[in-house]
Amino acid sequence: MDLGSFAGPFLPEILLLAGTLFIFLLDVVGVRSTERVGAVAVAVTGLALLFVIADLGFAPLAFLATIPAGQIDAAGTGSALYAFTSLGLIFQAVFLLATFLVSLASLSRPSQDRGAPIFFGLLVLATLGMLLVAIASDLVFLLLAIEVTSLATYLLVGYTRKDPRSLEAAMKMYVIGALSTTLSFFGASLLYGAYGTTNLAAIAHVGGAGGVPVLVLLGYGFLIVGLAFKATLVPFHAWAVDVYDGAPTDVTAFLAGGSKKVGIFAFFLVFLAPILFVRTGTGSPFANGAIALGPILQITLGVLAVLTMTVGNILALLQKEMKRMLAYSSISQAGYMLIGIAVGTAPALAGATLQIFAHVFMKGAAFLLVAGVTAWGIGPLIDDYRGLGTRRPVVGVAFALMLLSLAGVPLTIGFVSKFVLFSAAVQAQGYFVWLAVAGLLNSALSVFYYARVLRVMFFEEPAAEKFPAGAIVGGSGPSELPAGGFGYGRAAAIAIAVIAIVAVGIYPQPVLGAIQAAAQHFVAVGA
Amino acid sequence: MLPLISLILATLVLGTVATFFAGARSRWVALATSVVFLLEVAVLFVNYSGWPGYNGALVPGFSESESYSWIHLSWLQINYTVGVDGISLVMILLTAILQIATVIYSWAEERRPAAYFGLVLLTCLGSFGVFVALDILLFFLFWEAVLVPMFFLIGFWGGPRRRYAALKFFVYTHVASIVMLVGLLALVFYSGASSFDFSSVYAAARSLAPVPQTFLFLALFFGFGVKFPMVPFHTWLPDAHVEAPTGGSVLLAGLLLKLGGYGLIRWAVEVLPNGFHVSQPILFFIAFLSIVWGSVLSLSQRDLKRLVAYSSINHMGIVLLAIALDSSLGLIAAVLLMFAHGIVSGLLFMTSGSVHHTFGSRDIPAIGGITPTTPALSTMIMVGSLASLGLPALISFPAEFTALLATWNGLGYWVFVPLGILVVTAAFYLWMMQRMLFGPPKGVPIGAHDVPWYEGVGMGILVAFTVLFGVLPGLLVNVIVSSPIKGWPGP
Repeated sequence: MDLGSFAGPFLPEILLLAGTLFIFLLDVVGVRSTERVGAVAVAVTGLALLFVIADLGFAPLAFLATIPAGQIDAAGTGSALYAFTSLGLIFQAVFLLATFLVSLASLSRPSQDRGAPIFFGLLVLATLGMLLVAIASDLVFLLLAIEVTSLATYLLVGYTRKDPRSLEAAMKMYVIGALSTTLSFFGASLLYGAYGTTNLAAIAHVGGAGGVPVLVLLGYGFLIVGLAFKATLVPFHAWAVDVYDGAPTDVTAFLAGGSKKVGIFAFFLVFLAPILFVRTGTGSPFANGAIALGPILQITLGVLAVLTMTVGNILALLQKEMKRMLAYSSISQAGYMLIGIAVGTAPALAGATLQIFAHVFMKGAAFLLVAGVTAWGIGPLIDDYRGLGTRRPVVGVAFALMLLSLAGVPLTIGFVSKFVLFSAAVQAQGYFVWLAVAGLLNSALSVFYYARVLRVMFFEEPAAEKFPAGAIVGGSGPSELPAGGFGYGRAAAIAIAVIAIVAVGIYPQPVLGAIQAAAQHFVAVGA
Repeated sequence: MLPLISLILATLVLGTVATFFAGARSRWVALATSVVFLLEVAVLFVNYSGWPGYNGALVPGFSESESYSWIHLSWLQINYTVGVDGISLVMILLTAILQIATVIYSWAEERRPAAYFGLVLLTCLGSFGVFVALDILLFFLFWEAVLVPMFFLIGFWGGPRRRYAALKFFVYTHVASIVMLVGLLALVFYSGASSFDFSSVYAAARSLAPVPQTFLFLALFFGFGVKFPMVPFHTWLPDAHVEAPTGGSVLLAGLLLKLGGYGLIRWAVEVLPNGFHVSQPILFFIAFLSIVWGSVLSLSQRDLKRLVAYSSINHMGIVLLAIALDSSLGLIAAVLLMFAHGIVSGLLFMTSGSVHHTFGSRDIPAIGGITPTTPALSTMIMVGSLASLGLPALISFPAEFTALLATWNGLGYWVFVPLGILVVTAAFYLWMMQRMLFGPPKGVPIGAHDVPWYEGVGMGILVAFTVLFGVLPGLLVNVIVSSPIKGWPGP
């Protein structure tokens, strides 16, 4: 095997690695302006995104495809460490999209920001780790890839080095992250002890019908806890809100829109195979006198999903600050995503994947918008957004669309993803219907706090002193400069998100069809 | 053949978008859209040939049907399927009439007119969609699409307690929609229907066992019933109706409540006959509760708008009763009643809005003898009240008469409950007219003059239709009876 044919499939990853090194090099030679460094990050992630989309079989870009045909979704190719699945490629696309939007928006960060090379370099480095997660087929490879992302994000959260809140958040994230990594690796070592291998596909096919050793249960238990920290599942979520709140808001957009999904995809990778291997659908976990691993995992993950949705929503309801509200809502959204793996059918995985895809545009862009609005001098409280919708209708409507999408109102992408997810749970029947009911009740609950923001933005008069001179020019009306106050990069990122929210909401077939096909392959290969 | 329904949808979508961006000219764009909409609905009416039968149309039993693939996965077949039958046609006519009347009535809206008229059109667009959708997702989509514009109409243009009312409206109806969505999804997946289309769900669900049918029916009934609104889930209605701007109240009472009734007939009663039979006692109980409690509440109101709002609960209770009878006559009565109530309550809400503009108050005891000052407005109030109490030759009479007849056929002496309530409400309306319209002038500000032309024209349109269909109810009945409802004996 020559170097070219080995490196070819990894072109997106190599591109990101080169991008990271180049950005740090720029720092050394003294090019530190946000625009220039950011442009590199935007270009690198954009190009990598094109490669991944080409690999997914998007015909007009076929000349960019890097992975040879036949290597995607084929069991036994690649190596024991990595495998190209189309679902993994879709997750790569989602991760790259999140980074692309965040770096695009960050082009509009104040140029006196000294940390630009650090910020963009770490952003691209974290994305590299995420891309590796998406192709992992070995437990240790997976955990190491997660670690690459985690280390970069710890630094990213505290990169300003001035704001004590960011530093506290970074420290908190680091301690919790180290703990969760330890737990994950401990779980992995127990599984290695039980199975003698760390290959994810091989693990699933040992044991099974004849009952499960305690060692395996313990191993999966530690893995669930370790990964649950990463995916911000309740009751392992407490760190996330402080970190999301304390981190610079653009970093929060990356954490919520991108890096958190790493944990969810790790759940897909680790738990799908054992769930499918002893698939009894709605069977009892104690069938035939032996403990069946599949139903136990499904019930555990289902309970975690319901807990995460409910607690996240209730706490979001109680928040007075915009970022904290969005952070708790982000936690509850992780619960919806977990439904996909708890149900474990191809439709459910497709629904969860679409939900993750949607979340980039809804939550990621919402944090980007909050960052922009904060730069205008609007305070952190939800009440500080009073009258924003009438004073800046374009920004108000964009934010409203994101919130309506999060709430699952039709004709938005958030509705489609929840619809597919809950339909899949109902379609699986048995006790999964209750997951759908819990999810629907939760999305009803979530309407309370999203509608409250709409109410504050559109129905309440602005408090004059919250709008410093220059932030809001003159009166109101659509004739005002639309989104001009955001800068081109941020406005473009938000515009892309809004278009995606509406376009996929109205006609989801192209995206949904691709995701459904990928999920079917994923289940077929995993089984 | 022209895809007439898609054409109307396109008209409404384009008109709505254009209105949002038309700035000061938005009212003209909205009016033009409404006129075209009304004309297109007229064509739809003229083209409707009654029950086309299973003659190879895309959706058996519906005319003007169209179907295109929308979401197409191995386990999820969702189409853009639309079509009309007699029931939806009558509701569509109601939508078109109320839209044009509301646009003209609100002509002088000054607070962000582009957004106001755009939201009014969006509400009507959503309602039209609900009435033509023959696919579960499409239906739910339009159902929810009505919610958002109404939320903003109440919350931005409403009265003093508008924020509370808007939030309460949104949360109540959204929670109900979600229960309904669970029911609709379960309907598809438990019946094993091959797609989300009405025809395949209809074919698959009717053969389900009674127990799952009952659960599904109750879930759907809850979703539709909150919109109705049925007691005890009616408390969002007075808040929303009273705080909404006049145009919003007209659409709320005229259209949004009808969505519940229409949905119940189309998606629950027809599709789940066994579940419906098991649940009939519950429906009767809630219907009688709504009739009695709604009128008790409305009798205790001093505010003209509140009076109209609470009497809606009472009227929609009769609609529920007529549906619950499970007879052809009952269904005819229910559809007629919904049409009549849509027109008449719209008229009454407009008059109460005009009373508020002219006299600065809607307090019935505080205002009196307004006829010499505002003859046109008094006439409208009188027509609306007389129609509401069921005077022959006005639209409510044939509807209420049919409903009472159907109740007598189905339940015997129980008919005296709605009948007695009707007599009491009639007396109350007469007393209200006596106090407000006649007698010595009271609470009339200096310089008060009659309603402006646009308010007069808006109300006049509704008065014209009240009389037209009151004299010739057969125009509607002939269309309704040709609907392909289960066990339909025909005229």
